[in-house]
Amino acid sequence: MVATTTGAAAEHRRPGPRGGTERRGRVRRFLDRYWYAYALVLPVVVVVGGLVILPLAQGVFFTFTNINEGNIANPVLGREADYDVVGLANYLNVLSGDPAYGSFWGVLLRTLVWSGICVAFHYGIGLGLALLLNRPMRFRTLYRILLILPWAVPAFVSAFAWRYLFNADYGLINWLLGSVGLPTPVWLGQSPVAMVAVIIVNVWLGVPFMMVALLGGLQSIPGDLYEAAEIDGATPWQRFTQITLPGLRPVSSTVILLGVIWTFNMFPVIYLITGQNPHTRILITYAFERFFSGATRDYAIASTYGVLILSVLLVFAGVYLRALRSQEAD
Amino acid sequence: MDVTSLQTSGRAGPSGGRRPAPPRSGHRGRRSPAASFGLHAALVVASLIAVFPVFWVLVTSFKPDSRAIEASPSLINESSLDNYARILAGEKGDFLAWFGNSLLIAGLTTVLAVMLAASTGYAVSRFNFPGGRGLLFFFLVVQMFPFAVLIVPLYNLLLSLGLQGSAGGLVLVYCTTAVPFCTYMLKGYFDGIPREIDEAGRMDGLSPFGVFWRLMLPLARPGLAVTGFYAFITAWGEVAFASAFLSAADQSKTLAVGLQVFVQQNRTEWGHLAAASILVAIPAAVVFYLVQRFLVSGLAAGSVKG
Amino acid sequence: MAGVSYVKASRVYPGNPPVRAVDQLDLEVNDGEFLVLVGPSGSGKSTALRMLAGLEDVDEGAIHIGGNDVTHTPPKGRDIAMVFQSYALYPHMTVGENMGFALKLRRVPKETIKAKVAEAAKMLDLTPYLDRKPKALSGGQRQRVAMGRAIVREPAVFLMDEPLSNLDAKLRVETRANIAALQARLGTTTIYVTHDQVEAQTMGHRVAVLKDGLLQQCDTPRNLYERPANSFVAGFIGSPAMNLKTVALTSEGAVLDGLTVPLPRSVVAGHDAKTITFGVRPESLRLTGGDEVGMKLTVDLVEELGADAYVYGSVDIGGTAERFIVRTDGRTPPSIGSTVNVTLRDDNEVHLFHPESGARLETTKAPTA
Ligand SMILES: Nc1ncnc2c1ncn2[C@@H]1O[C@H](COP(=O)(O)OP(=O)(O)OP(=O)(O)O)[C@@H](O)[C@H]1O
Ligand SMILES: [Mg+2]
Repeated sequence: MVATTTGAAAEHRRPGPRGGTERRGRVRRFLDRYWYAYALVLPVVVVVGGLVILPLAQGVFFTFTNINEGNIANPVLGREADYDVVGLANYLNVLSGDPAYGSFWGVLLRTLVWSGICVAFHYGIGLGLALLLNRPMRFRTLYRILLILPWAVPAFVSAFAWRYLFNADYGLINWLLGSVGLPTPVWLGQSPVAMVAVIIVNVWLGVPFMMVALLGGLQSIPGDLYEAAEIDGATPWQRFTQITLPGLRPVSSTVILLGVIWTFNMFPVIYLITGQNPHTRILITYAFERFFSGATRDYAIASTYGVLILSVLLVFAGVYLRALRSQEAD
Repeated sequence: MDVTSLQTSGRAGPSGGRRPAPPRSGHRGRRSPAASFGLHAALVVASLIAVFPVFWVLVTSFKPDSRAIEASPSLINESSLDNYARILAGEKGDFLAWFGNSLLIAGLTTVLAVMLAASTGYAVSRFNFPGGRGLLFFFLVVQMFPFAVLIVPLYNLLLSLGLQGSAGGLVLVYCTTAVPFCTYMLKGYFDGIPREIDEAGRMDGLSPFGVFWRLMLPLARPGLAVTGFYAFITAWGEVAFASAFLSAADQSKTLAVGLQVFVQQNRTEWGHLAAASILVAIPAAVVFYLVQRFLVSGLAAGSVKG
Repeated sequence: MAGVSYVKASRVYPGNPPVRAVDQLDLEVNDGEFLVLVGPSGSGKSTALRMLAGLEDVDEGAIHIGGNDVTHTPPKGRDIAMVFQSYALYPHMTVGENMGFALKLRRVPKETIKAKVAEAAKMLDLTPYLDRKPKALSGGQRQRVAMGRAIVREPAVFLMDEPLSNLDAKLRVETRANIAALQARLGTTTIYVTHDQVEAQTMGHRVAVLKDGLLQQCDTPRNLYERPANSFVAGFIGSPAMNLKTVALTSEGAVLDGLTVPLPRSVVAGHDAKTITFGVRPESLRLTGGDEVGMKLTVDLVEELGADAYVYGSVDIGGTAERFIVRTDGRTPPSIGSTVNVTLRDDNEVHLFHPESGARLETTKAPTA
């Protein structure tokens, strides 16, 4: 038998003689408890935080200046920076919708339409394919591999493939359309048809992610729910709306949010397929045009667009998450 | 809950007790032949659409440039391996050096991003520490970050860190874009591993780091595979950062950058471009094939708990 | 090996209001003892156990193992092993690796580990399964692996949190006996959590009863049964449960329907309330012929268990129907719906509690301990 040392324990609990000791004790307990967690996240906070917050801060600063290629500090040429602070001028110019600054509102509208259409198709087709794939059948694994494939193709290879297919003169798509007697538009020219083309490509690119995520979501819905519903006499459609869709909600809400954010900033597809085409211009590609085009390289306006993009998305995410939460509360 | 069924990794998802839904079919048992035909027809069409663009590039990659632009396409038209031979021989740029660079950068990005995302995902999943939720929200915001427009500040930052023009700087930038989503995914995966497993490990004498290394990582292998795939794809085909942050010397380019330059200079050499594209796509396809069976469960775990 | 003591140990979950999951627990477990923590769901048993394991913070008080204060020691420094309700076997390791893992972490030589694992496996009939993964085992086998993982370590203390609750009834009884025998053989201090009072009474050297985070009583199974410290313990321990009724108190004694049970003068005198909580176990009641004084019990249900039968029925006391359970001879049970006469076997076999506090009021009966 072991005698207990009650005295020592009481000693341990006695509060420190002064507040300072108490506080130090609390700090030590806090570190004792959490230092593992902080040690684990420290690398990420340093890398991600450093590479996001510092550039963002500098980017935000740029939006209040007239910085461009001509006046930025250039260590190669040994040139000092000589840009000026211009206050809110950039924001005013951009938000005025002036075509010289990219017709902000029109482009924003196009960006919203682009994101909305793309994500709607991603989700709709992804869900349809996931439902098909979630049945027992032959070649299921093969279908799954083939359907996910577009995700694995590097973006600029896909862009190249589609540009080749869409080519007006020797592209396969126009050859097909022509051989059945349909009109053969110049797909990637200076017309709204180009927008249709990039949407097709982006849908093709984005469906696999949605499909895979939703397939996982479907597989996590307990099978006995369907059995119970079937016993209750639910029709297949009722089972879909009453069990499948609610069961997919957690997955859906996440992937739709991510899908909108990613599509909103989907720069490579449009840029690699149609280049600087005003008919396919969305916020991020315009910003990049400002940034890279010609001799001017207007970093200030590009950064202003960047900050505006971030703001639009933040507002969207805020509204979206709030809507989700209030829906959940019902 | 049946903890030990956890390892049925393939498609069952990471959480022990959850059983995958038996695939639904309108009617229990047999499908009618018509329904079966419809199902397969739909999937065959969808698969064709998914695969065709790449397939067509493959077909074209064997054709000489002049044949690649014929108005009435055909599968085989003076096809040969000449395009590949010329590219690999370095006629169109230092292809092998680009390939090596890409492999190095994508490989480093994958390893680093997975490690960072795993440790963060584990911390957020297991330790209820002040700031954890904030961190996740911050990661959501990072996804919205228009990196393409902040190339200049990023460039300045890398320059002041002495990383500009080196593979290291580029790897860090890629990690920044890949880690947030990877963290979400892995956090979801870790959430599916019962806490008792950690606690048993702690009782057996592991520190929290030990639990992470010897229990969580082995158990989250499917999640790690998916995360690695995502990071690899992010880095492998990227053009804008790679052209901005790597030195302009030809032998330090990545494949994507080299080919992009090649595309811009040789707008008509479709045959060669196609062959080069196929060469770029092959490593990505290999990685994809290795992880594809984990994709469904791994991604779902991340999205469900996101 | 070592004793364990909780010294006014509390676990308070922050919240509004804060949850005192374990409240000022004072408990000593002797070296080599098998102590069972029992209580209803949510009473803080698991929390108390996990505090000892180091998996839960100790917000107030202290915990000692083998005389050392381990209040703030991480789990690995406490030399304890735990068997979880879900077993928590490592899915990616074989049975053998699961059992040897702790030793491997301590850099015990491979041969030693192998020998110890083999020995434990033999003890638990696990030898044929050593190379299997846990998912390929039955529930009972997994349970034994979890035990084996704890045994191999030869810790100072075993902790078990409802280790049998995932087993079927028959296996549970069997395993219960095996665990008790194993503990007796190894002589390792063991703290065992269960919500099943039968398990507690059959396995423990001593049983500690918890309710709402507060220790109600800690004693041998026999004392717990015969001298419950309060009405909660009285109602919780024993199956079927003790008949506990709060009834009117007169100078004659406690008034039950037609029956007035004379109470010891010491109790009646020292008690100023008009009522008293009166407890009598089913086996302390008996059915009688109509000529004796007794309560009129209307039979609702008869549970025949072979030798014995339990009669469930209701008695009208002061206008309300009170449920009573009576044990009787299994060969001649009354029929359902009939009315029988019930009386006490022995006026001394009653338990009296304060109607408000529930605390035990001493009767004259001498303690058996
Ligand atoms: N993280 C927590 N935060 C707040 N309260 C908690 C937390 N964990 C447990 N509790 C509360 O502490 C009390 C004790 O919980 P505990 O798990 O110890 O009960 P138990 O006796 O083991 O019950 P059971 O038999 O159901 O396992 C419960 O009322 C529970 O609600
Ligand atoms: Mg419990």
